[in-house]
Amino acid sequence: MASNYPPPFDDPVEVREGFLCPLCLKDLQSFYQLQSHYEEEHSSEDRDVKGQLRNLVQKAKKAKKKLLKQGGDDRTDTGAQERYESFSYGGVDPYMWEPQELGAMRSHLSDFKKHRAARIDHYVVEVNKLIIRLEKLTSFDRTNTESAKIRAIEKSVVPWVNDQDVPFCPDCGNKFSIRNRRHHCRLCGSIMCKKCMELVSLPLASKLTSASKEALASHTSPNSSPNSIHGSRRGSISSVSSVSSVLDEKDDDRIRCCRHCKDTLLKREQQIDEREYTPDIVKLYEKLRLCMEKVDQKAPEYIKMAESLNVGETTYNLEHANDLRVEVQKVYELIDALSKKILTLGLNEEPQPHPKTLQLQRMIRYSATLFVQEKLLGLMSLPTKDKYEELTEKRKQEIDRKLHMERQATLEMQRRLEEKQKDLVSRSTGAPNGEVPYPKRVSVKKSEGWLPTSSLPRQREIADPLLQQIDNITSFIKQAKAANRLDEVRMLQENLRQLQDEYDQQQTLKAIELSKRQAEEEEMQREQLQVLREKEWERELHKAVSQHSRTRSLDFREVKQHQHESGKENLNQIAQSLDLDTTQLKSSPSSKTPSPDAVQKQVTKENSVFPIKPREAPQYIRETDQNQTVLLNPFEDEADTSPVENDPANTLAGDSSQVVSLPTKARHRDKKEYNPFEDDEEDQQTNGATVCAPNPFEDNGNPFQKPVNDQNSGNPSEGLSSTNPFEVDDNEISGEDIIEEELLLQQIDNIKAYIFDAKHSGRMDEVEVLTENLKELKRTLAKQKEKSKC
Amino acid sequence: MNVVFAVKQYVSKMIEDSGPGMKVLLMDKETTSIVSMVYTQSEILQKEVYLFERLDSLNRETMKHLKAICFLRPTKENVEYLIQELRRPKYSIYYVYFSNVISKSDVKSLAEADEQEVVAEVQEFYGDYIAVNPHVFSLNLLGCCQGRSWDLAQLSRTAQGLTALLLSLKKCPMIRYQLSSEPAKRLAECVKQVITKEYELFDFRRTEVPPLLLILDRSDDAITPLLNQWTYQAMVHELLGINNNRIDLSRVPGISKDLREVVLSAENDEFYANNMYLNFAEIGSNIKNLMEDFQRRKPKEQQKLESIADMKAFVENYPQFKKMSGTVSKHVTVVGELSRLASERNLLEVSEVEQELACQNDHSSAHQNVRRLLQNPKVTEFDATRLVMLYALHYERHSSNSLPGLMTDLKNKGVSEKYRKLVSAVVEYGGKRVRGSDLFSPKDAVAITKQFLKGLKGVENVYTQHQPFLYETLDQLIKGKLKDGQYPYLGPSTLRDRPQDIIVFIIGGATYEEALTVYNLNRTTPGVRIVLGGTTIHNTKRQMSLLGMVPVLNFDLNNLCNCLQDSGQIRPTE
Repeated sequence: MASNYPPPFDDPVEVREGFLCPLCLKDLQSFYQLQSHYEEEHSSEDRDVKGQLRNLVQKAKKAKKKLLKQGGDDRTDTGAQERYESFSYGGVDPYMWEPQELGAMRSHLSDFKKHRAARIDHYVVEVNKLIIRLEKLTSFDRTNTESAKIRAIEKSVVPWVNDQDVPFCPDCGNKFSIRNRRHHCRLCGSIMCKKCMELVSLPLASKLTSASKEALASHTSPNSSPNSIHGSRRGSISSVSSVSSVLDEKDDDRIRCCRHCKDTLLKREQQIDEREYTPDIVKLYEKLRLCMEKVDQKAPEYIKMAESLNVGETTYNLEHANDLRVEVQKVYELIDALSKKILTLGLNEEPQPHPKTLQLQRMIRYSATLFVQEKLLGLMSLPTKDKYEELTEKRKQEIDRKLHMERQATLEMQRRLEEKQKDLVSRSTGAPNGEVPYPKRVSVKKSEGWLPTSSLPRQREIADPLLQQIDNITSFIKQAKAANRLDEVRMLQENLRQLQDEYDQQQTLKAIELSKRQAEEEEMQREQLQVLREKEWERELHKAVSQHSRTRSLDFREVKQHQHESGKENLNQIAQSLDLDTTQLKSSPSSKTPSPDAVQKQVTKENSVFPIKPREAPQYIRETDQNQTVLLNPFEDEADTSPVENDPANTLAGDSSQVVSLPTKARHRDKKEYNPFEDDEEDQQTNGATVCAPNPFEDNGNPFQKPVNDQNSGNPSEGLSSTNPFEVDDNEISGEDIIEEELLLQQIDNIKAYIFDAKHSGRMDEVEVLTENLKELKRTLAKQKEKSKC
Repeated sequence: MNVVFAVKQYVSKMIEDSGPGMKVLLMDKETTSIVSMVYTQSEILQKEVYLFERLDSLNRETMKHLKAICFLRPTKENVEYLIQELRRPKYSIYYVYFSNVISKSDVKSLAEADEQEVVAEVQEFYGDYIAVNPHVFSLNLLGCCQGRSWDLAQLSRTAQGLTALLLSLKKCPMIRYQLSSEPAKRLAECVKQVITKEYELFDFRRTEVPPLLLILDRSDDAITPLLNQWTYQAMVHELLGINNNRIDLSRVPGISKDLREVVLSAENDEFYANNMYLNFAEIGSNIKNLMEDFQRRKPKEQQKLESIADMKAFVENYPQFKKMSGTVSKHVTVVGELSRLASERNLLEVSEVEQELACQNDHSSAHQNVRRLLQNPKVTEFDATRLVMLYALHYERHSSNSLPGLMTDLKNKGVSEKYRKLVSAVVEYGGKRVRGSDLFSPKDAVAITKQFLKGLKGVENVYTQHQPFLYETLDQLIKGKLKDGQYPYLGPSTLRDRPQDIIVFIIGGATYEEALTVYNLNRTTPGVRIVLGGTTIHNTKRQMSLLGMVPVLNFDLNNLCNCLQDSGQIRPTE
């Protein structure tokens, strides 16, 4: 492992080879020794570190997971992983075959309808004909009319078939004779024997005719109660039974007809009945379904609430959830009651309902029971009030603890990298054993790392608009609750939930991006180191200065790297560092006044960092505004990096001695540091920054970021700001608008100074780059002016 | 390519199309089993389908508040029943779906019967086969061939089933068939004919590599259905018989009432889905784990589950448990019964010899073993016959064939005439004369080396050394090495690339052992999906009845010893 990745930070003079431990750079004689050493010395260290060195992709994944957990989002893709495992053989388990579309099908409906329409027309005409005749036959007062007259009327309605044409009954085939007389159907005129003759009672006739009349007049259904239907039915039955007795007498209350006509009429009657009648079971069933729908709607809502409450979250209100629970339970009871009612429908009636009806009722009841069982089991209970408070408290602690852990992990990482860095430093300065730590430095960092913890969550929340929104909504909910508007509360809570989901998602995305960036950055570092080595001989010449600045720059890189990992803290750290910066500057007035460069630096740095922030962090900017205004002096003089502002976050203590001596040194260094190799190196770093940190500024070609980088690449706060995950996402759109004219002008002046400087020392390529930058800046300025005019 | 899903989708679509409200599902005999394979009652109840009726049942009441979903095969009788139904409709509205192509004239006569305008939908949904597993289907046809040629009615049903399968999977395949089998050729031609006739239906989006339909004949491998199986699904089918996912346990001594008939469906029984392809010993331990898991939750009873008998007692003592895990008690019962049967019939020993007969070529040892087992009183006449049948198939032409001697042994053992006749019948059916390819002796050098290596390594599991012949065929097909001479294409075009979607159909029925083989092939071969189908799913009993000699064998289980054997004793992996 180590042999694959010879540590890049070797002593510049001798490139070290062999089995070097990637963490402490100790040279171990063999692979096995290295392995055992690694296991012994570094096994306790975070796995992520190993992962970084081993496999970039893997590391990215881990970082993602880690951050996922931080966001309280455990919906990791373990399921997906398991699924992948089932593909391990190369083929696919038939149970896992990807879903397929619905198979082929072919509709015959249009064909069917065509045939049916032809047939239906015929049928409808026939039925209507019968009804019209029936109406004619019943339109006069039959009881008070002589039978001969009735006969005449009947004959006029439909022409009767000639007796001679029909020697046999067409239905039963019996021969007609004196004893077996012919009878005519009054509706169609056909002939049949007495046995085959049917009768239509007057009530039935009137029902049929009136129904069709009403249907024609308006589509409101007639108001005949089930009783009247029964009456009419019974009537028809009794009339049939009385047939035998009345034989050939006058048809007072009935009309003779053939079997076919009667059939048609009865079908018609049935249709009429069905149209009007909805059985009880349907009514009950409809209610039942309504309840089930309600449950389907409410239960998930409740479960969401209960889950959230049971882990002690404060998104929902406990009482509120309780109300909902009661509501849902009531619906369940209703379902149970309704289905029971359906089950027992008609059981007490005589005669007993058809077995199929009973079966239907049983099945409905069964499915309702299944439904309740399934859903009710999922209906978890709510914590009691006390319990809930306890839970909330617990969760709070849990979150605190988590945060604490995270901090510690970051810190640990920081420390380790620090050590590593130190190693390198000591190596480069010729120290034989890089393992001896600088206790002073470490302690400083530790304390520094700890500081922001207390204020972290708050600031973080405010930094993100989503979180702000969440805050807002939470307060809305409070207000709404106070106003006792429960509907609104519910809505808001739902809203809140969505927002939180959204936020979680964003976090995940950011985490992924972050880890990617990290990986790239590491790559960059390696390249840079290569360059460093190449420049080694030059370094020999400017040993004192160059060594110093190089180590510094390396240092920054390292810090930057691990600070990426703790992206969330960035804002804090910026604040921190700035605070430290300014206080430091203030506390040493000697350094402040005589070194305008330093302050100028500070200004540019702050300018570059803060203009983007006001949107998300208004409070924060207010805090820093003071500093800014203090520092915002339009210093004309151009300067190069001085350790003070370079390294506020990292090496304050270590540098403090230098700070004192700086004012005098700084000006000298102006020129000294602009020696070619040093500059190259810094250029490199600039590139590094641009590549590794796809910061919207740089990507958008924010014109003054590049020149600043030229100088500032080692500045940790800048590195931080450029990789702050919150900003990356949020500023993308707003980044350019915020550039202020004043800053632009300032920057243009700066660049002009750079160009002058570069020309002086004869670095033509740099001059070229800078001129280009200058042009770009001017263009932007013009645009800006246009905009502001508009 | 998932056949279960394909049918299920059809049924779901039918139910969805009919909208909300109480529904009745009107089916015929065949569609009832088709639907029951993919949907459980509780599942379908949730979709408001409360009644399941046979169209031909007379005992139906008029219930105008119900919607009727008719899923029917387009047979003459069904159309006639439906016409009667529509003349006097019992339900308010009818959604009619036919499981296959219906003729225009039938549609017309139905339309004319619908005087009351109750029909709201007439469609063809091609769920015309029994989906057994996602990759296995059956047509539930027994005795599809009369001797060496098709029964015509069965041929058309088989062709219908196959075309319906193709339509439901939206595949328009190239067809290959087994040259040595006349029925295979006939069927291939019939399918092709339907595809040509209904070209509009088969107009699917072309895939890069066209799907392939391979039609085989059971007679080419009569061995596989005769072997005892040790994987769960196959074993259940062999020993108890699975019919449309249902197992009849009523013959099991002391069975409780609610376990008389159990349903084993991988669709909604997780344990079954996970274990159906595992061998018996593994299932025993899995069930044990499951039960111990439950016991751990009830720490009061520190009872150790040593045997399946213990487990059974355990289940019975915990009515609660029974309720909670009806599945487990079901499987305990089934596995217990399997284990009982296995020991009762001395199946381990029998199976070992069977495997030897099927996979090895050592005549004298095989002969000796068969004779030895024939002497064993524990071996049933059924198993004895089976051994002799295997022997007869394998050593049909062997120089020292001593089949007559074995037949005498059978007779001495008291095996009835009808069984003894089976031996000659099976040779007639699947003997060397019939077979297109050689089942037993490897043909080419590679195969010989393979077998040699296998011999060197020793067999991992004596009870599962047999690899169905189908494996070889499919393996070659996937590698593009299947000989065009033996398995020609129907029509001029041939497949140049490696096939991706393969549908294998075995005339005369597939087995669960083959289902397992295809399952494993699917899992191990990237980019290839294989669906296996057969006129039926075999076990030995069905295979024998296929031979036309025995309708269905009944062996009386109750008379035999009823001791429940320890599951730990069954260790097929030695």
